[in-house]
Amino acid sequence: MSPLEELIRAQRRERAEALALAVLSAVVVGAASTILLGLSGWFIVASAAAGAAGLAVAHTFNVLIPSAMIRLLAILRTAARYGERLAGHTAALRALAAIRPAVFESLAAAPPSQSLTMSRGEASARLVQDVDAVETRFVRLSAPWSAGAGLSAAVAMAVLAGWLPALAILSGATGAMLAARAIARRRSAPARAAVQSRIGALKETTASLVAASAELRAYGLEAWAGETLNARATDLEDARLAAARAQGLIAASQAAITGVTVAAAMAAAIPAGAPLAALAGLAAAMSIEVLAGLAAALDQDGAAGEAHKRLDAILQHRPQSASTPAAAPTLLGQALRSGERLAVVGPSGCGKTTAVETLLGLRGEGSAVARSLFAWLPQDAGLIAGTVRDNLRLAAPSATDDQLWAVLEDAALADRVRAAPGGLSAFLGDDGERLSGGERRRLALARAYLRDAAWLLLDEPTEGLDPVTEARVVERLEQRLDRTGQGLVLISHRPAPAAICDRVLAMSAQEKGPAIWPPGLVSTS
Amino acid sequence: MTDTAYTQPMTARIAQFDRSPAKPAKAPERAQEPGKAWLARLSRSGGGSAMGRARAAGLLDGLAAVAFAAGLAFSVDAVASHRGPVTIAGWLLLVIVACLFRALLTYVGAEAGARAAAQAKASLRVDLARSVFGGPRRSAGQALTALVEGVEALDGLFARFLPTKLAAAVLPLVLIAAAAFASPIAAAIMLATLIPFIIAMIFAGTAAAAEARAQFQALERLSGLFLDRVRALPVVLAFQAEGTTTKALGRSASELAERTIRVLRVAFISSAALEFFAALSVALVAVYCGFNLLRLLPFPVPETLDLKRAFFVLALAPEVYAPMRRLAAAYHDRQAAEAAAARLVAFEAPPAKPAVAPLAKAPTIQFDGVTIRYPDADMPALSKFDLTVPAGAIIALVGASGAGKSSLLNLLLDLAPLTEGAILADGEVRANLAADIAWAGQSPLILPASIADNIALSRRDAPRAEIEAAAQAVGLILDRPGGLDFVLDERGSGLSGGERRRLSLARALLKPAPILLLDEPTANLELASETQLLGAIRAAARGRTTLIATHSEAVAALADKVVRL
Repeated sequence: MSPLEELIRAQRRERAEALALAVLSAVVVGAASTILLGLSGWFIVASAAAGAAGLAVAHTFNVLIPSAMIRLLAILRTAARYGERLAGHTAALRALAAIRPAVFESLAAAPPSQSLTMSRGEASARLVQDVDAVETRFVRLSAPWSAGAGLSAAVAMAVLAGWLPALAILSGATGAMLAARAIARRRSAPARAAVQSRIGALKETTASLVAASAELRAYGLEAWAGETLNARATDLEDARLAAARAQGLIAASQAAITGVTVAAAMAAAIPAGAPLAALAGLAAAMSIEVLAGLAAALDQDGAAGEAHKRLDAILQHRPQSASTPAAAPTLLGQALRSGERLAVVGPSGCGKTTAVETLLGLRGEGSAVARSLFAWLPQDAGLIAGTVRDNLRLAAPSATDDQLWAVLEDAALADRVRAAPGGLSAFLGDDGERLSGGERRRLALARAYLRDAAWLLLDEPTEGLDPVTEARVVERLEQRLDRTGQGLVLISHRPAPAAICDRVLAMSAQEKGPAIWPPGLVSTS
Repeated sequence: MTDTAYTQPMTARIAQFDRSPAKPAKAPERAQEPGKAWLARLSRSGGGSAMGRARAAGLLDGLAAVAFAAGLAFSVDAVASHRGPVTIAGWLLLVIVACLFRALLTYVGAEAGARAAAQAKASLRVDLARSVFGGPRRSAGQALTALVEGVEALDGLFARFLPTKLAAAVLPLVLIAAAAFASPIAAAIMLATLIPFIIAMIFAGTAAAAEARAQFQALERLSGLFLDRVRALPVVLAFQAEGTTTKALGRSASELAERTIRVLRVAFISSAALEFFAALSVALVAVYCGFNLLRLLPFPVPETLDLKRAFFVLALAPEVYAPMRRLAAAYHDRQAAEAAAARLVAFEAPPAKPAVAPLAKAPTIQFDGVTIRYPDADMPALSKFDLTVPAGAIIALVGASGAGKSSLLNLLLDLAPLTEGAILADGEVRANLAADIAWAGQSPLILPASIADNIALSRRDAPRAEIEAAAQAVGLILDRPGGLDFVLDERGSGLSGGERRRLSLARALLKPAPILLLDEPTANLELASETQLLGAIRAAARGRTTLIATHSEAVAALADKVVRL
């Protein structure tokens, strides 16, 4: 069984009660809808016959039971419908709330070559749209039951008028179902899959245009860009049109089959008399109408199938427990010594950041083995949307506020946070957009301080800081290292932080491998 | 749609302010209002003739419903009064024809709706593109979301909700009127169940709709949260916070699910009301007609029904509510559109640029106390910057990422906001400096077209000889089949990083602009390719006032003066 199926099954087991309620309600809805209309039709025609036969007959006609039944069915249908929708959606929402984090967990466990190269668009397609597509697996679970109950009720009522009308209804419903399934498979599924992939293609075109905003502006191509987008969107709209046509065709086939089935059922029921013919006709109409939910589910299934495949590809990765590395980690062939302070220098673009990311197992098939040894400050700071506290606690989930203030103090950011409305609870926006570049970096530095690791791995910690702040940050870094005995791997082309290092690893632009120089000989300007 | 359709600077600014996540609880509610007005305008104008067809199909369906009910009624009556098989077959044929007509209308409606949506989205895309590419710069994520997801979110509104809306407003009354011909009292019963239904919808509906809207936006925020953690995944992995992050995400997801369930309890009441009154209408009509036919009504009525009339109104009763149920089924489409509109309304159309005579020669550019501060930022990206660039000089701007190098270049194209100070070209402020600028950046636009067409993007009427000259000047030598006529695919695969930069320099060279801006022209290139590119940069800069933002020392060495930001 595929991992997604396992997840869905587990969720179905866990939500069995709600799903059972949904199914039960659906059965009531399907049956009640059909019986309500069929019975009403029979009641009117029988009343007409009794009324025409004279007042005496009319008085003997039992009006109470059918009219009470009709009212009861109306109420029952409403209540059952409410129960079906609420129970089904409750189960679906709770299941999705469990499945979405599971997809994230698997994504995090996937090799970095897959997980870290994912664009925002892809991530949103997987975690949002694809998981949403799973919702129908829960909500629509009751659709076949409702359809089945409605159809059974219709057939049962038609049998009163003879087996021929019942057969007509059964064949009509079967035909309607087969038609819906055939159209869904042949037309809806490919069209819906095409819609998904073409949205992806449109996103790519849009992204390349957005990235070239300056070029478009300089060459006066603003209006041209809109036309280009629309030219690209033609494919998407074609696929949408095909999907709409398929949906229309399914609905149209249901309507056409309804007409034929109603006529056939009534014609077949003529020998049984007008009341039963009316009952058969209305039951036939309802028998197709209760299938609508099921037909819609078939129509949606095309998109869901693709989504399932993609989710399965992610879900096959399961988190593994981190093991502690046996040997000392090596950076560019150099073993890191415990407690040492190493500066990595070299011209920009020579691969320093790549080397660090490889060390952390964030490249290629990377393993998580060495991650526990390092507290990292990435070059782009890498903050999460949330508060100051959310960001810091990423490094130590159970850190107290006192500990947070202490590391903020060491990163020379405590005053800024104290002044912000909300303090530690101040919301920073996406990627810390409410902070300046230097503040973002210092917050990421504080986060690295908070992690209890053998080495600090700092990528340009003082970039974007003014000389006074930089001096303060470096001074406190040195004090901190003296106090904790942590090692330091520092990437910087600025002299101030490099000055506290006792070994320098210089990378040349050609990547001929590192050379080791004593610190005094290295120009870092 | 006209330019003015969503030019609402003030409300747009409110919407933008409200998007700030500092007050997540209240923000979307207030942002909703201008979004709604914008959406209403768009709904009125968008869709064109296809929308008309889709609406007409919806309305004609009412006619088919009447025919269907009539066919049923006459068939039953013919059976009851023992008419000949031809008469019965005739009426049954009406049932079939009515249903086939409905089938056709359904198909036509679905297709016309899709076409209307395509049309409306195309015109919206053009407007948004004008705002995104012609207005102030927005984050790439924001622009991409608006242009793709934002536009696509409106699909269902045009394809399904709007075509159904008119039918839902008109058809119930039309069908009740048709029922009144057969039985005024049954019609009155239908009307009587319609009125409490509408009142219930207004009471339950407004409360539920507001809640559901808030919910919809909460769901969007949850999606945003997941995407944010995917973006920050390198950090999450490095800090081994996968477990805690997953748990936190699970908690947020569960909280939202529970909140949604509470909302649904209320929201489904409105659909239950719909169900209830639809079923009640059928039940009351059936019981009334039955008692009338039995002549056993406990009160006097001014009408005596026969079977035809009774059965007709009974068959019509469920149809009265069908259009509104269809509308309710499409309500989700409207919610999606409203949520998108709240964001899209902030994309106002930029004012038209005045046409100015182009500069004749390389100008002196003077930055006079220039401050750039982006709308959402706490700190200016660049503060009180002064610089004079002599005519024809090359200036290299160096400094850390985020120091404002790119902002300064973007400022000249009006892509960054000039908060304070002035930019003077040859001593005067120019209204549309972009016309005098050629640009090359680190990720040039590559189209699925020939290389020559790609170069000619900067001047689309350029003669072939000039395109070739430009390619040659920057050393874009192609040993591919067809040379400059070699057709690139969507990803521009086959072009190396260096060749892409040369292409963009050739593009810059082709536009006779006296100012050249280069944004990280050699970023992500190997040293060897960078060295080879320096000559091309020099060729492109000849005779122009040139500003280069760069991290590269080799590129900076080309400059007459290096400015550290």
